[in-house]
Amino acid sequence: MTQRISKYQRFKMMNPILQFFKFIYLSIKIMIVVAGGHGGTRKVD
Amino acid sequence: MSKIVVLGAGISGHVAASHLRRKLSKEHEVVVVSPNSNYQWIPSNIWVGIGRMKSKQVLFPLAPLYKKKGITYKQAKAVTFHPEGDAIESKPYVLSEYVFGDKKGTTEKITYDYLINATGPKLAFEATEGLIPGENKVYSVCTYGHAEHAWEGLNAVIQKLKSGEKAKILIGTGHGKATCQGAAFEYILNVEQELRRHGVRDNAEITWISNEYHLGDFGMDGMLMSYNGMTMKSSEMIEMIFEDRDIKWILGAGVNKIEDGIAHYENLDGEFKTETYDFAMLIPAFSGHGFKAYDKNDNDITDKLFKGFMIVDADYSSKPYEEWTVQDWPETYQNPSYKNIFAPGIAFAPPHAISKPRQSKNGTVISPAPPRTGMPSGITAKLVADNIIDSIKSGKESLHHKGSLGNMGAACIASAGYGMTQGSGVSITTYPIVPDYKKYPKTQGRQLGKTFGEIGLAGHWLKLALHYAFIYKAKMRPFWWLIPE
Repeated sequence: MTQRISKYQRFKMMNPILQFFKFIYLSIKIMIVVAGGHGGTRKVD
Repeated sequence: MSKIVVLGAGISGHVAASHLRRKLSKEHEVVVVSPNSNYQWIPSNIWVGIGRMKSKQVLFPLAPLYKKKGITYKQAKAVTFHPEGDAIESKPYVLSEYVFGDKKGTTEKITYDYLINATGPKLAFEATEGLIPGENKVYSVCTYGHAEHAWEGLNAVIQKLKSGEKAKILIGTGHGKATCQGAAFEYILNVEQELRRHGVRDNAEITWISNEYHLGDFGMDGMLMSYNGMTMKSSEMIEMIFEDRDIKWILGAGVNKIEDGIAHYENLDGEFKTETYDFAMLIPAFSGHGFKAYDKNDNDITDKLFKGFMIVDADYSSKPYEEWTVQDWPETYQNPSYKNIFAPGIAFAPPHAISKPRQSKNGTVISPAPPRTGMPSGITAKLVADNIIDSIKSGKESLHHKGSLGNMGAACIASAGYGMTQGSGVSITTYPIVPDYKKYPKTQGRQLGKTFGEIGLAGHWLKLALHYAFIYKAKMRPFWWLIPE
């Protein structure tokens, strides 16, 4: 096994408090990307 | 009064039927024809396949819901398409065969004013010799039944590992042209975590086998993404995760035969190799259902409706990879020959792949087919429903709602391990789904701010939240329509 993710990074990835805020942030960001609209391409420059 | 027939009750068919029913008055009839009695939230099958969820948590019966909501439901499978009717029936119809109940085995001409073909893909296990779910120690998680079976197989291996034996686990794609690498990616990470949870990880060798040229291709030509304040290739991100979890990988592999515990594959160098395993989960190739279509004189017009999957408003002219554009992809999912037929979700024939096509030195195609996951399936189904609703209400054809995969974002919340405190997820969003190399030439066809990746516990919570939200939505509970596709 090669440790590619440092212990500090892993701590941040698995810390429930930090991840709670990340959950809120991701939910909003994903909503913006996904619900941000869609459309055609053939009349777009 | 109009009659809209929806073939299929998966994500796409169910989304279309529910929006049609909500927005159209009761004088219009919405009919769902599906051989499946249950709705299943397919993305959570991964968790059924590791024993952390039961099938009943990812499905519910369709008949009671449709009865309550005023949607006609026929548990039948489409057999042939007759878009002009025939000598006896003047209206267009789909010949369907009942698969359950008193009418089982009988056929019915189900007439329509509008037809939505949301039959999804056929799981073409037969395209790979010996790839039969539950046989030869190879499994699938494509349906809840398959996933339950996969958990039985995995659990047996876990018990074997607990007794001190060693085992090899192989997960990935089971055909040179398979797609849905994302599901296999989720499953391999979940299996790896479960082995750690059971304290047997050190006894298992886990290998990823895929028809991708690079890790993280996912049938989308890979992506350049924002990650942790940096710009990273998806291949680098997945390599980092696999190395960190001690998962080996075999790329450019077209699996062509399965024997008991042995996967035979050809690589891009044209070499024929084998990989042994004690447990495997391999995603099969997807194909169309092989439907036939006939005109009113009973002449075969299958090539007007189908090209494997259903023909829609895409540019199907053959051209090299370098000339592919986002404009090739459909916008309204309307069949060009019969304007009252639509095919959203996975049922439409894509104009070409998204990943660069590759062949082995022997000429075998070994590259992913384009993936069309739940989110775009839902979005395209809703826009098709909205166009039909507008057409019915205005009395003339309306195609204002458009949604090309080249102008649509998608989120892939890939589970990387189950657990409220120990779980993990790889959250990837991409915009657009089909890379637009003209619009975003320096970022591999994608908009960087909207194409990003995150790894961590929040990803697991997000996937779990989506599980409950989308099942709530599918059950058409109060204000279900406020939840976006």
